[in-house]
Amino acid sequence: MSDSRSDIGISEAELRSATQALDELHRATFPAVQATLADIEEHNRSVVARVGTAAASRRGLLLGGLAMATTGALAACGSTSGGSAGSTGATASPAGAVASASAAASRYTGDLKVVALAAALENLAVAAYTGAAKKAGAGDYGTVPPAVLQFVTTVKGQHAQHAQAWNGVLTSAKLPAVTGTPVKIAPAKVAALNATSSIAGVATLALGLENGAASTYTYAVSHVTNAQGISTAASIAPVEAQHAAILHFILGQYPVPDSFIGIGDAVAPSELTV
Amino acid sequence: MHHTVDERRLRELCEESDDRHSDAMRTTRESLAAFVDVAGGERPQDRPAAEATAAEATGPDRWPTADRTGRRGLLRSAVVGGLAGGGLLAVAASARAATTDVAALQTAASIENLAVSTYQTALTLPFIGGSSANPVIRAFAQKTMTQHTEHAQAFNAAAVKLGGKAQTGTDPKYAPVVAAAVPKIKGPGDVVSLAITLETVAAETYVKDTSLVTTPDLRQLFTSVAGVEAQHQAVLLAVQALLNANDAAMIALPPPVAQLPKAAGSVGFPNAFYPTSMASPAAEGAVQ
Repeated sequence: MSDSRSDIGISEAELRSATQALDELHRATFPAVQATLADIEEHNRSVVARVGTAAASRRGLLLGGLAMATTGALAACGSTSGGSAGSTGATASPAGAVASASAAASRYTGDLKVVALAAALENLAVAAYTGAAKKAGAGDYGTVPPAVLQFVTTVKGQHAQHAQAWNGVLTSAKLPAVTGTPVKIAPAKVAALNATSSIAGVATLALGLENGAASTYTYAVSHVTNAQGISTAASIAPVEAQHAAILHFILGQYPVPDSFIGIGDAVAPSELTV
Repeated sequence: MHHTVDERRLRELCEESDDRHSDAMRTTRESLAAFVDVAGGERPQDRPAAEATAAEATGPDRWPTADRTGRRGLLRSAVVGGLAGGGLLAVAASARAATTDVAALQTAASIENLAVSTYQTALTLPFIGGSSANPVIRAFAQKTMTQHTEHAQAFNAAAVKLGGKAQTGTDPKYAPVVAAAVPKIKGPGDVVSLAITLETVAAETYVKDTSLVTTPDLRQLFTSVAGVEAQHQAVLLAVQALLNANDAAMIALPPPVAQLPKAAGSVGFPNAFYPTSMASPAAEGAVQ
């Protein structure tokens, strides 16, 4: 693809420089976000202490329900936090994994259930982009343009950071981190990803996930009461919307189709299976 | 300037987009109407649970509304308690919250008004709205101006229902910035750069305001609009990168995906978490 870049006379250096500057800006911003998350953690720690949830002992129960893989590609997410979600590298039964997760009693309630849902959705996004990258590497989509690969890599990284942020809230509240994809929509998404055979197909799938996340967080800000939780959702929702805009563009669609981010695609906490 | 865009297809896309937008607006207007109805009389969290709207009533199975109901209950208790004791304190707190909400809404409307005015001016320029303009950039400027108009209407409707005045003016901090920049505009890149500033300020302000306003519906409104401004910013950042690379021909729908430079895949979303360092204070554009 470097050849095509030179053919069209693009100054990649300029774009790379711009991206690096933006990345530095991101890195400058992230500490403030982490500080905010620390506040959230502290707040939730006090909330949990007050209500006497004492859920720490249940952490082990979660792990049994998180195995989730598809063709070895839809691996577990949140690996940066050390969580393992059954990345077996072999084909597994998503439905079975979710059913197993469903069997466990939910230990997430109130605002923290929304936080757990958010972590699960972020993990699902990471898993989907990981799976898409592996399928691309296997040649399932033909020659993949470098801009698309860059999109997948960057977006996957941002979703991983989102998941890490949400999971930080959970673990500080003595609740288990969500290290898999325990949401009811996961099997359908896995099947859809496995069925994709083109860039357009996988971009359409990703667009659904991004719209779902943006919509969920937009709805969440009016349904959680934790101030830091609200600010975190508010800071992530626009980023998911940006991902969606670029996906629209890649698909040849108008990139900002709506004047308001709707809530029709929001995923309900009842979709959480742990 | 060479354009590979299929104008007929672009028109079709815009029409499809308008259809989708109309559908979305119906839902949004219903939500906004529900919000402004209650805001006009009483603040949502002040209402007893039994009086929750139909939309809220769907919540318990789908979303954990117990906390909202519980807070309403607490507030209701506080009000009842206040009648017996410190009622004036409760009333004063409620008034302060309403004042903050109205100011934030008016400031938001002032930012939207400035954005509308700026895009309107830009569209008079030949390289944005004229015959030499890139069709995608022209279509984007037109549609974005319409979207900002609707945002302003939404913010002003909410402000009025809360007892405030509609803000018809432009943001006092950034209006002079635009006024100073317009005479210096020499090409699309200058317009895009100015638009990025306005979209960034708008999105960051609404992200911050989401945590500032005092009702769930207002939080949802601000987040809903913040996402759209962030999308505008993402598109503009991508356009800016391509313009800076002297390849406006890549700004097309559908784009030549295979030929796009690698960096184009990530330049539109520089932050994993949307910052607020450029957010305007809630009172910046409040009606005086």
